[in-house]
Amino acid sequence: MLAFLGTIGVAAALIGAILLVVRASVVARGKGGADLAGPVKLVVAGSMTSMAAMQIALALDDFSIAYLANNHATATPFPFDVATAWAALEGSILLWGLVLAGFTWMVFTAYRRAPDRLGAAALAVMGIVAIFFFGLMTTVANPFEVCVAAAERGCLDSSPFPWATADVPIDGRGPNPLLQNHIFMAIHPPLLYLGYVGLTVPFAYAIGALAISVPGAEWLRRSQRGTLIAWSFLTLGIVIGAWWAYEVLSWGGYWAWDPVENASFMPWLVATAFLHSALVQQRRGMLQAWNFVLVISAFALTILGTFITRSGTIASVHSFTQSAIGPTLLGFLVLVLVGSFTLFAQRGHLLASAPRVENMVSREGTFLANNLLLTVFAFVVLIGTMFPIILEAVTGTRVGVRGPFFNRLSVPLSFLLLLLVGIGPVTPWGGATPQLVWKRIRGPLVAGLIAGLLTAVTVTRNGWVVITVVLGVFVIASTGALLVGQAGRRRSKTGEGLAAAIARVTKGDARFWSGQLSHVGVVLVALGISFAANLSQHQEVVMREGDQVVFAGHTITYRAPFQQRHPGKTSSGIRLEVVRPNGSRVTLEPTHNFFPGHPNGVATPAVDTRASGDLYVMLLTLDENRVATVELDTSPMMWVLWLGGLTVAAGGFLSYRNRRQERAPARAEAVGV
Amino acid sequence: MDRRRMTLLGVGGLAALVIAITAFSIGDNLTYYLYPTEAIERKAEFEDGARFRLAGLIVNGSLEGSAGSLEFTVTDGGADIPVFHTGAVPPLFQECVPVLIEGAWDGERFVSDSAVIRHEENYEVPEEGGTLPSC
Repeated sequence: MLAFLGTIGVAAALIGAILLVVRASVVARGKGGADLAGPVKLVVAGSMTSMAAMQIALALDDFSIAYLANNHATATPFPFDVATAWAALEGSILLWGLVLAGFTWMVFTAYRRAPDRLGAAALAVMGIVAIFFFGLMTTVANPFEVCVAAAERGCLDSSPFPWATADVPIDGRGPNPLLQNHIFMAIHPPLLYLGYVGLTVPFAYAIGALAISVPGAEWLRRSQRGTLIAWSFLTLGIVIGAWWAYEVLSWGGYWAWDPVENASFMPWLVATAFLHSALVQQRRGMLQAWNFVLVISAFALTILGTFITRSGTIASVHSFTQSAIGPTLLGFLVLVLVGSFTLFAQRGHLLASAPRVENMVSREGTFLANNLLLTVFAFVVLIGTMFPIILEAVTGTRVGVRGPFFNRLSVPLSFLLLLLVGIGPVTPWGGATPQLVWKRIRGPLVAGLIAGLLTAVTVTRNGWVVITVVLGVFVIASTGALLVGQAGRRRSKTGEGLAAAIARVTKGDARFWSGQLSHVGVVLVALGISFAANLSQHQEVVMREGDQVVFAGHTITYRAPFQQRHPGKTSSGIRLEVVRPNGSRVTLEPTHNFFPGHPNGVATPAVDTRASGDLYVMLLTLDENRVATVELDTSPMMWVLWLGGLTVAAGGFLSYRNRRQERAPARAEAVGV
Repeated sequence: MDRRRMTLLGVGGLAALVIAITAFSIGDNLTYYLYPTEAIERKAEFEDGARFRLAGLIVNGSLEGSAGSLEFTVTDGGADIPVFHTGAVPPLFQECVPVLIEGAWDGERFVSDSAVIRHEENYEVPEEGGTLPSC
């Protein structure tokens, strides 16, 4: 029944997408008007129906659907039962479809306000992407296949026909243990998908503009909202993902250059470059061709990322088992790259008559440098991620790339980027004398050097930390000086208080200042990474009941082991009483969790987060004599990293909100087709 | 030299530099990734103590010793390799768990110093391997 409903939803969305492409191309070629509302609504309604069918099936434990039999269990608690809808391959494509339908709706509402050929062309491209993903759901990644051969738990064989006679297992296998351990894991995929899929919007406008030869920055202006929301959610998704890894994966880290992490980071780097270079095109008309290249690359990287994470090509924490979806995604990726760049090669020079950046000492000059660094960064991550896959495909040899490869290259690139973050915003558009720029950055640079010196004298001699502090303080001082300077000039005119003046200034150029907020977030992230990488301490201890150890100022006593039964899992762990350096007490319970249907357990670390730093405790082993092996880690000021990541995303969301407000009066400009 | 040629030269030079640095760094940080069957087949290539990663399942009943000096056997169903592990271990490092360890040959045994658990749900036997021992 629910398999029927879900299949009908997917089919309706697919038909809607096909109709959308057909009708929108007619409008885009200027061959007359056609109703686009119908097809778009069909896509939206179809995808919502299919997700609703999936959620109802999960709530009713309908194991006649193979996806549920293999990924859900009666005992799976809330909210993980809801999140199971996107915890495995087919479901994640279902979520992808729903999010894509949402963004198609967003592009459509803009078109409805002001219908024209460019809007229709963008909708046609959205439709093509939608055909691919809803097509996947009717063929190689069907989330509503009916289980026709039940196993004790799970499903052995399934049929794509919803009328097939179901062989219903008594219970399902339940989601992958790693995916039902923390609330972050439930919310992080939707966030990431809002980012990934959102990058379809600028891609659609770019390809639309190329296809019907609309010159200038109009496509950029139209796709701004989509780009900003995509970038902000992508940022948030990456941060929450890293935080989840830290809280759950129990290797004490938040980032391991895992292919799946890289898959989200590469489009982020390119999208970040695009956010900056789009500004250059809008303000100065430069970098027009480059913006096409960036947008096509960012979109292609999201497809590549999906290929990496969903095809099982790379042995990785998140990878799924091999299926026909790998070659299909790869085919689509090739189609996107060849199609887009062919179009770009044919039409690009007609549309992008780019004036060059004449003076490198200018805002556009610093943006050019920033774009260069960000794309080199993305290239390095791409090579490190893809090299093993390509080598194995060609020679059959399996190799791995170690973390130091990424670290060696990303650290200098990040330092250079930080330096630019401090210089760019104080450099005027159009060009300035080096003396002027020097005058503006001299003070902040001195502030940074003093902070670095103080750090070296009082905290640590670690060179990496000192450099990060110097650059971080430089950026914040540079941005702060700019703000205080502008507010001061305002005050001398209006005589208002400093706080009021600052509020006025930031409101007056909200785009710019929300960007600066993201920059401050970047500084915090850099500091957090630097502290964690260079100042953390580790110790491994074997403890018997009643044993006491002293670690980094903490006195840790092993009280007793414990066993607990929860719905859907059993836990065994140890109770540790910790006296913190300041004398306060806390009980920590690092545990091992076991899930029915999965042979291997998952360890969950216990983390005591405080302003000065985290105490991170992992239970390595616990034997029958109640002897525990425990790993203790401490990282100073871990919260700076999370706060920084959230701040970067917040800057993006604020900028989105402001652009939205700016758009509101534009309704009057609407022109007919 | 005109401006265009200078830009081209600059960009080309920069690209070459980036590629050279990337290639150099990746060469330093590559490790082979072998199953026990392959590790034994290609033993000659690694006799000189070259490091590689060994992937397999810890044989049931083979884990002995304590942290810092663990002994166990890793299998892919086709071949078994005795392992001496000196490094730290991740949580839940136990028998019947699929692991990825890094180290080098020392005579007939493999000495490793780093270990991770492969969190894959379905441990698959590589093509030439046999069947996995029951756990």
